[in-house]
Amino acid sequence: MDEASVIVKAEAAAAASRGIDPSLFAFADFDREAGERIGYSNYSYWRSTLRVFFRSRLSVLLLVSLGLLLLFTFVQPLIPGQKSPTVIYNDPATGTQYRNVAPGAQFWFGTNSIGQDLWSRIWSGTRTSLLIGFLVGIVEMLVGILYGALWGYVRRLDRPLTEVYNVLNNIPTTIILMLLAYILKPSFRTMVIAMCATGWIGLARFIRNQIVIIRDREYNLASRCLGTSTGRIIGKNLLPYLVSVIMLQTALSIPGTIGWEVFLTYIGLGLPVSIPSLGNLVNEGRRIMMSPELRYQLIFPTLVLSFITISLYVLGNAFSDASDPRNHV
Amino acid sequence: MLKYSFKRVAQSAVTLFIVVTFVFLLMRLLPVEGYFGDRYDKLTASQREAVLHKMGLLDPWYVQIGGFYERLMRGDLGTSSIYRQDIPVAEVIAPRIPYSVYFGLVATAISLVAGLAMGVHMARHKGRFWDRTWTAYVVFINAVPLAVYLLFIQLYGSDLLALPILFDKHRPISWILPALSMSLAGIAGYAMWMRRFMVDELNRDYVKLARAKGLSSSAVMVKHVMRNAYVPMAQYLPAAILATISGSIYIESLYSIPGMGGLLVDVIQRQDNPMVQALVLIFSSIGILGLFLGDILMALFDPRIKFVKSEGAR
Amino acid sequence: MSAGDCPAALASRAILSVRDLVVKFNLRGRVLTAIRGASLELAEGETLAIVGESGSGKSVFTKSFIGMEDQNGWIDSGSIGFEGEDLAKFRREEDWLRIRGRKISMVFQDPMTALNPLRSVGRQIAEVIELHQGLPPGMAERSAIELLARVGIPDPETRHRQYPHEFSGGMRQRVVIAIAMACKPRILICDEPTTALDVTIQAQILGLIKALQKDFGFTTVYITHDLGVVANVADRVAVMYAGKIVECGTAEEVFYDPRHPYTWALLSSLPQLGIKGRPLYSISGTPPNLFNEVVGDAFAPRNPQALKIDFVHEPPAFEVSPTHWAATWLLDPRSPPVEPPAAIKAMRAKYERSLS
Ligand SMILES: Nc1ncnc2c1ncn2[C@@H]1O[C@H](COP(=O)(O)OP(=O)(O)OP(=O)(O)O)[C@@H](O)[C@H]1O
Ligand SMILES: [Mg+2]
Repeated sequence: MDEASVIVKAEAAAAASRGIDPSLFAFADFDREAGERIGYSNYSYWRSTLRVFFRSRLSVLLLVSLGLLLLFTFVQPLIPGQKSPTVIYNDPATGTQYRNVAPGAQFWFGTNSIGQDLWSRIWSGTRTSLLIGFLVGIVEMLVGILYGALWGYVRRLDRPLTEVYNVLNNIPTTIILMLLAYILKPSFRTMVIAMCATGWIGLARFIRNQIVIIRDREYNLASRCLGTSTGRIIGKNLLPYLVSVIMLQTALSIPGTIGWEVFLTYIGLGLPVSIPSLGNLVNEGRRIMMSPELRYQLIFPTLVLSFITISLYVLGNAFSDASDPRNHV
Repeated sequence: MLKYSFKRVAQSAVTLFIVVTFVFLLMRLLPVEGYFGDRYDKLTASQREAVLHKMGLLDPWYVQIGGFYERLMRGDLGTSSIYRQDIPVAEVIAPRIPYSVYFGLVATAISLVAGLAMGVHMARHKGRFWDRTWTAYVVFINAVPLAVYLLFIQLYGSDLLALPILFDKHRPISWILPALSMSLAGIAGYAMWMRRFMVDELNRDYVKLARAKGLSSSAVMVKHVMRNAYVPMAQYLPAAILATISGSIYIESLYSIPGMGGLLVDVIQRQDNPMVQALVLIFSSIGILGLFLGDILMALFDPRIKFVKSEGAR
Repeated sequence: MSAGDCPAALASRAILSVRDLVVKFNLRGRVLTAIRGASLELAEGETLAIVGESGSGKSVFTKSFIGMEDQNGWIDSGSIGFEGEDLAKFRREEDWLRIRGRKISMVFQDPMTALNPLRSVGRQIAEVIELHQGLPPGMAERSAIELLARVGIPDPETRHRQYPHEFSGGMRQRVVIAIAMACKPRILICDEPTTALDVTIQAQILGLIKALQKDFGFTTVYITHDLGVVANVADRVAVMYAGKIVECGTAEEVFYDPRHPYTWALLSSLPQLGIKGRPLYSISGTPPNLFNEVVGDAFAPRNPQALKIDFVHEPPAFEVSPTHWAATWLLDPRSPPVEPPAAIKAMRAKYERSLS
């Protein structure tokens, strides 16, 4: 019985079809485009990327709150009644400095050991650190792309650039960074320069590898044969592929630089204490962390710092996933 | 294999030479105060010049390099100028090596065991609860600066667990916090890589065939996927071990462990140029050694690697 | 209906019978129907070829016979009868382990990546033998060497210790076949076994499978784009389109007397069939989006001679001969007569001439 399925089906179906309107047995108009339209819907890379990205509720939440935080950071000094981040406040009654005042109505986040307002110092420090992060991120991106592109596309440069890469890659980043900061003497500018020195290496290597892979890939061969211009190949095939990595790199370089800044400050190679930065604040907090009642000086800057680094890290990864064409429907 | 090793040895030697020379030249840019210590202000300009001349620092750079390599061959790393005035650098560093090595090895052992287990666990539960939980850990460790969360571990770890806040070589209990601190990043790193390699392997065609052969999914995991995922891990292993040794700079300093990393921070803060130079050279060589060993290990495990490897970019 | 109605060849020795199989995938929250009620009978000892354009679902269809749909896929309905069991009902891995590799084996398309690069070839074969026949490692190794010799690897004594990268593509495919044969399966599914190989090697591999089939007496299913392969090896041919078998018959019937417009289009696009001086036929349009429900005949929108009914009702399978059926309304007596394309007619004429 089972084995006869095909035939059973044929006859049963034929029987069932007997009631069909006979007028349907006539030719339909052929619409060539219809044959195309039924296929996969038109696909836009950027729209897909954004759709995948915004599908994650966590990403949206982080994006919105990070956006608000950044906005506040830059608006804060413009709000009337804010204290200065560098002025040392004195108690008018006694004429002495407001040292280590606990958080309260007058100083929202308290004061530090010399009587500066921690609240405004945190926002000022966040601005400094973000600025360093953005600058470093952009320089790293530009250098990384340029280096990687030359490395990948210009075959003649492959050897020398590989050697330079090997040397830089062989010295631990911590060492390069410490050495440069040591030689250059601490300041805002040298901080940026030192941190740019190594961060581009990973991106350059990645871009070089991708270019080599994609350069040799069949579909590019095919599109070259079909007369597609190089610009179009890069725009259509390479760029979307690289966007995810570049976004990731840039998003991660800010948490990275903030981390390095804290470290350099710790070993005494950070920004001068007169410039508030997250690294300086954490380091100041570290010095007095042994007294439990003063720990707010460490905890407040850390909370802001961790929120920024974690959300950038998560968002960077989420965007990089979303912009990976393989994750699109 | 032998040929490959030789080639790789030669390559590493060349890289080491370039790196050392590069670092040496960079060090020539150092502020000269670092060669005088507290004598600097007492000396007149001509006296300073005489000292610098005696140290050979006024010679052309190629003469300096020649002299440096000649002394290096004899095992002479120079003498400390500030940190332990006029004591040979090697003598200052030698007693500190065991601490760095010890902590490096312990931390690596912890991170390897925990990290690989975590990575395998994540890959097997990809996209589900445990994967997400461990991912949160990895994200936290990677996103929050090491210099920050380690501080809190020192602070609250000592508070809550009643552990000593500083290292004391006579109290083994004081070794717990630093060793643990050194492992945290390693665990996250190994877990992330292991997960990635496992997922990569899982998507390969041979896994399909292994399943079609009739192997149960746990057999496929253990006999094929995990075994294969260890191979690329092997490449990172030595570098990671050595990175733990040199990467403990911050932790050694935080807990006052008398290792090489803490020393580097000290001598940088005191601007002792010969010490900085010697330590930087040691740490750079460690880095090169790590990459070299990784490649050799990888070649041992992977039959496909014979003599050549795609140049440079790893 | 009684079994007596069926073609004797099929009914008596059917080894696998698939009925109305529906396979779905969950792709990022949307459900895609890759197989939309496909039916197929496989007779013991025969060689069946499944043809159809890329994406028509050939691989998904056959992978469901050994429970190897991708993680996001599942059998939604239908049945797969094999040795008195319904494989479509299998849920637990242990059930499949009785079938996979033991009763039904599969050879995949790309031999270059099908083997584990880090384990020796001999080990990979011995592994199956140990698993399914319970032999100790030493004996399994001997068996593996014999199998290597049987699939035509020269010097198997030394070669079994080598790694896949030391083998050429053709030799690797032989190894994969040896692995598939290691447990003397009843059915061998070859998913485009030769596409990745060059032409002379292709012929050798096909010859090898044929010879093995004679020795071991298994049933073979070929999935292929290459109608040349079909003509060479297949007893019967099933044509698949958009997740459905649309026509099925003996190789001669499908080649020389095709009835479904999709089969016409497929055959007309063969270079061998091109008529001199005319542009080669190519099928316009694209296969349907499997996310959408298909109404009527899935091929209708691409068929210049589609009937109105093709857009409304799904055609049932019409019997052409006891061994040949096609699911197209053209076979309904009420349809207007439609001539097959010139290339098809020319081929048929040539065939008839050769018969007389
Ligand atoms: N894991 C999956 N998730 C979602 N869709 C899938 C999955 N696997 C296959 N499909 C879809 O099922 C359809 C059939 O795929 P299948 O691989 O069976 O085609 P095929 O006929 O074997 O093609 P080819 O000749 O190119 O191998 C395709 O449209 C494909 O996109
Ligand atoms: Mg396929």
